[in-house]
Amino acid sequence: MAAPILSIDSLSVSVADKPIVRGLDLTINEGEVHVLFGPNGSGKSTLLSAIMRLPGYRITGGSIRFREKPIHNENTDAIATMGIGLSFQHPPTIHGVALGRFLEKINRTDTLPQAVTSLKMESFLERELNSGFSGGELKRAEILKLYAQNPDLLLLDEPESGVDLENIAIIAEAINKILEHDKPVKLRKKSGLIITHTGHILDYVNADIGHVFMDGKIVCSGNPKELMQDIRERGFSGCVACLAEQRENHGN
Amino acid sequence: METKLDTGALSALRNVAYDTQAEQGGSFLAADNRILESRAVSEMLEILPLETALEKYDWLAARLHTLVPADADDKTAQVAAEPKKLGYFIRVRENARITLPIQTCYLINQSDFTQLTHNVVIAEKGAELHLISGCTTNAHIKSGTHIGITEYFLEESAILTTTMIHSWGSDVEVYPRSAVAVGKNARFVSNYIALSPVKMLQMNPKASIEEGALGEFYSVAYAPAGSRFDIGSEAILRGKNAAANIISRSVSEGGEIIARGRITGEYPGGKGTMSCNGLMLTENGRIHAVPELVADDLDLELSHEASVGMISPESLAYLMASGISEEEAKSLIIEGFMDLRVPGLPDYLQRQIDELIRKSHTASAI
Repeated sequence: MAAPILSIDSLSVSVADKPIVRGLDLTINEGEVHVLFGPNGSGKSTLLSAIMRLPGYRITGGSIRFREKPIHNENTDAIATMGIGLSFQHPPTIHGVALGRFLEKINRTDTLPQAVTSLKMESFLERELNSGFSGGELKRAEILKLYAQNPDLLLLDEPESGVDLENIAIIAEAINKILEHDKPVKLRKKSGLIITHTGHILDYVNADIGHVFMDGKIVCSGNPKELMQDIRERGFSGCVACLAEQRENHGN
Repeated sequence: METKLDTGALSALRNVAYDTQAEQGGSFLAADNRILESRAVSEMLEILPLETALEKYDWLAARLHTLVPADADDKTAQVAAEPKKLGYFIRVRENARITLPIQTCYLINQSDFTQLTHNVVIAEKGAELHLISGCTTNAHIKSGTHIGITEYFLEESAILTTTMIHSWGSDVEVYPRSAVAVGKNARFVSNYIALSPVKMLQMNPKASIEEGALGEFYSVAYAPAGSRFDIGSEAILRGKNAAANIISRSVSEGGEIIARGRITGEYPGGKGTMSCNGLMLTENGRIHAVPELVADDLDLELSHEASVGMISPESLAYLMASGISEEEAKSLIIEGFMDLRVPGLPDYLQRQIDELIRKSHTASAI
């Protein structure tokens, strides 16, 4: 059995003293891709931000381990250097820093030029990082960043939001490449945690396990496509009803 | 070079991009009150000590102080009172395009020296000239005073870019006094870069911009603790469709910067934009942005934006989340903040400026 790459136990996270994540447990094994569904504003992004130890996200309880090493007290850059990469949902503009120069700084691959071409970012290399980029361009730049970082664990925050179908296909191809989905299953070492609201990305990227995130914790796990189907048919209120029914049956 | 300079002086010259090995259209170098070099490679270009030019051209004396009055302030009066002028006269002949840079440099080479200079630059009708002007002190010298008048005359359709790089000792006081007459359809670009400690630096060059002409001022200043900069630029739009851009970037790491900008529109169709941005790196510094717009006519487009703040924690976190250390991320943001893209500047000059900014602040304690 593959070793866990990310182990989260009883994690609680607050933002401005407001508890957002409340006792969350999650284990992702090497080579696995997990997907996290949840209503808007439920705190899915908070989880990713807490894993990266971004400022403003306070871990109030529990632990996060990466390859068994606790990281919940580490600095953001150290966590990234260990092998975790985050694609931001809303990346900030970094004035005066060209995308190309930024990529040079973080690149850990030999094939960055090919990724620049396949993500259609050639004409953006001299542009200021994220400045005036459209929705699709921002996402492509974020995935290109991950490609350059070449992390072992990818955290993808709504990679398809605000992106048209053509761009989703381009982005997904690059994600699959980083996740080594061009290799046989047994040889894949890269893992991922994808947050999605619409689930469209699942038409392009295969995920192994899906989770429904509500009220600050994972309330349900299973086959990601089946979960997505349920959510599409019944909405997240359907999840609430299902949970209530489960509790009732359990009580009986 | 006629007189040997020691290693401290040579290293200071390199810091302000004075490079005797580089391909150039001409050069001028003065140490204290001695002129060490004054040469031009083209017949269409004159680079002379001002005293020599005054002997050669009868008309020149009457042009001195037409842009910077002798009695403008006590500093200009001090220069005007000097009987023997230290300075250069640079003239590009009509329609001559000198594309290689002209390098000029003033060096303070002994402690507590007061260097008083007066320069005249004339770009005749349709001429083009690119100046790189360095002002510095020997690496071993910390104190002194530099007061320099420069009068730039751009005739019709001339192009003149001047990139001034200051690198002084920490106890040096500096008072440049410059003014520019930008003739019809001419273009004047001033780049000013000051990235090392200075006790006090105060200047406010003025450009008078005629019909269809453009005056642009770009400045980057970095003030470590103990440094005071009061730097500004003023553009007066004196003709139809005259235009001006003033862009300044100030970084304080404990020092004080007053960043002034003033655009006055006096004629219809004038356009002026100004952007004064400041970045505070510590609690102890001070940045005071003073952008001013004055409209003396109805048909003008004048605008400004100013901002002063610290490095955005969001930007820092974003870069760190890519594996860049906090120190490197700050450095990258500061470098980016100070990165001025000057439209139309020759590539070699832009590269030189980029390199200077990069070098200067890897050398500093940022």
